[in-house]
Amino acid sequence: MFSVRAFSIFLLKRVLATLLVLVGVMVIIFLISHVLSHDPARLWAGPRAKPSTVQAVEIRYHLNQPLEEQFIYFITSYLSGHFGIDPVTGRSIAAEIGYYLPNTLELVFAALAMILVFGVGLGYLGAMNFGKRIDTVIRVFYLTSWATPTFLGAILAVLLFSTYLHVFPSGGMYSPTLVPPPRITGIFVLDSLLGGRLQDLSSGLYHLALPAFTLAFLNFGLITRIARSSMLDARWATHVKGALAKGVPENTVRRRHVLRNALIDVDTVGAVMFGWLISGTVVVEQIFAWPGIGQFAYSAVASDNYPALVPIVMVFTLGVVVANFVADVLYSILDPRIALGGAR
Amino acid sequence: MNTRLKRIRQLLFLNSLSSFGAICTFVFLLLAFLEFVTGSRLTPYNPGAPNLANANSIPSLSHPFGTDFQGRDILSRVLSALPVDIGLPLLIVSASAVIGIIVGTVAGYFGGLLEELIMRLTDMFLAFPAFILALAVAATLGPSLVNAVLSLTFVWWPPYVRLVRGNVLSITTQDYFAASKAMNSSFGYILAKGIVPNVLPAVLVYATMDVGTSLLSLSTLGYLGIGVPPSSPELGSMVSSISYNLYTYPWEALFPALIVLLIVAGFSFLGEGIRESLDIKVRPHILIRNKVFSENS
Repeated sequence: MFSVRAFSIFLLKRVLATLLVLVGVMVIIFLISHVLSHDPARLWAGPRAKPSTVQAVEIRYHLNQPLEEQFIYFITSYLSGHFGIDPVTGRSIAAEIGYYLPNTLELVFAALAMILVFGVGLGYLGAMNFGKRIDTVIRVFYLTSWATPTFLGAILAVLLFSTYLHVFPSGGMYSPTLVPPPRITGIFVLDSLLGGRLQDLSSGLYHLALPAFTLAFLNFGLITRIARSSMLDARWATHVKGALAKGVPENTVRRRHVLRNALIDVDTVGAVMFGWLISGTVVVEQIFAWPGIGQFAYSAVASDNYPALVPIVMVFTLGVVVANFVADVLYSILDPRIALGGAR
Repeated sequence: MNTRLKRIRQLLFLNSLSSFGAICTFVFLLLAFLEFVTGSRLTPYNPGAPNLANANSIPSLSHPFGTDFQGRDILSRVLSALPVDIGLPLLIVSASAVIGIIVGTVAGYFGGLLEELIMRLTDMFLAFPAFILALAVAATLGPSLVNAVLSLTFVWWPPYVRLVRGNVLSITTQDYFAASKAMNSSFGYILAKGIVPNVLPAVLVYATMDVGTSLLSLSTLGYLGIGVPPSSPELGSMVSSISYNLYTYPWEALFPALIVLLIVAGFSFLGEGIRESLDIKVRPHILIRNKVFSENS
């Protein structure tokens, strides 16, 4: 079934399509940041800036030049990795993002792992008990979590588990008394594992648990809903009935045909999920004092730091574009007919 | 007329999910409407008037949700925020649905290069995390009610284009569509009689759930302090203005936030209940991204 040639052609097509989307994304971000506002220099300088500062900003970001030159400047600076200087801290924005990004990835991947296990698990439980009380309870549960605003979920989690029950710390990435392990990947939990420092690892996991759980709880609804409906579709499909009829044990059928079918649909929403998770980090990281890009975005918004906000939006979007690409490739592995160009 | 009312009632109270949603949605819509037309006369106290002698009081009979750090009645403030927190999402979703119906129909009906262009553009917008893009637009446009609606509509329309186009594509394969074309019906006639009535149920069900989702984004923008201006009461910005008092007076932030949850849950339950009962296929994963194969799979 699996053909290397078909797969390479498929991969090439996906890479080209992704590059096209990336160009479109850059154009859209350029239009928003340079054209949409009637006074871009004031926007980039901040509402309380002095007229002299506004003028300096206008020159520094080439805002006084013709649009096409502004666009060329914008594109080349992004392609060469120069995101400018953060006017609040005075440091390079690229370096700041490089520092914050691993922390956000740690949080998002931990939440993603929780969502995959519990989200698919609950969807399975619901589909197998379709129409029974437990199915209704699961549906109300995921719809309610879906309807919970991120700030409410994060505030409740801090109040309940940290302030009242004292089970988890209310913020930070690791215990403040601890000397962080040597930076290898930038992801704290991974670095302490690679450095063989188990105490750091446990402190990191202990601090990671509550924000990751909050992020996962607020976003698992989509996965559970898709997994449930996809398993409901597969449950009465003819190939499942056929397998049961020829005497394959029910558990094997569920695992091989019903659950696997759901994984394909779960992968389809995976990239969307990723987008929601990184959007959620803006509020979750602020409430949990987690030093990631989300908190960076929050402080950029709060301090009218527009020059930092534009690269942050770019990085967030890049993350979703990459996630889309990974999901597409994974998809063609889960369902080889896609790469072969066949219809489902 | 009587049978039609009966059918609407049957539709809204099909199952316990949609019944809860219908009641919840109805109550909030009514409150928001009354508050809007009476010009804030519904509130027991003046929502903006500080009363420092009575600051941070716990929930009681005279102040069911308590008062905030300036002694303002939180229930009154929540009520006065309802027109914004329900009206704006309704506007955002209606505008997106209208864009979706027009653009999606054009793409699905005419096909060819035009369709390819529209769908590629839609794909590019879908590549963004919607909330982050709305945040960027709102930060660019500056705070105002109109800008809040604009910035969210800017990111909200793509799923509607996908939904409508997919439905139009399947309508064009139907016999009645071919018959109508064979009789030389005009595009406008086919649109009004053949396409819109068949696309509308799916759009309405999706939009019902979507009102809640757009409120989530709107109130989160408010929480971050952008979009809705500080002068107009909004539930999300209310939560953030109070959150430094969180550990001492948690209810001050929790009541407005719980009202957001109730409104969103109302619309979501209603939409989900109707969808399941009518078995309309509004599968968000097909709406949001489906580049590998067509929507009909």
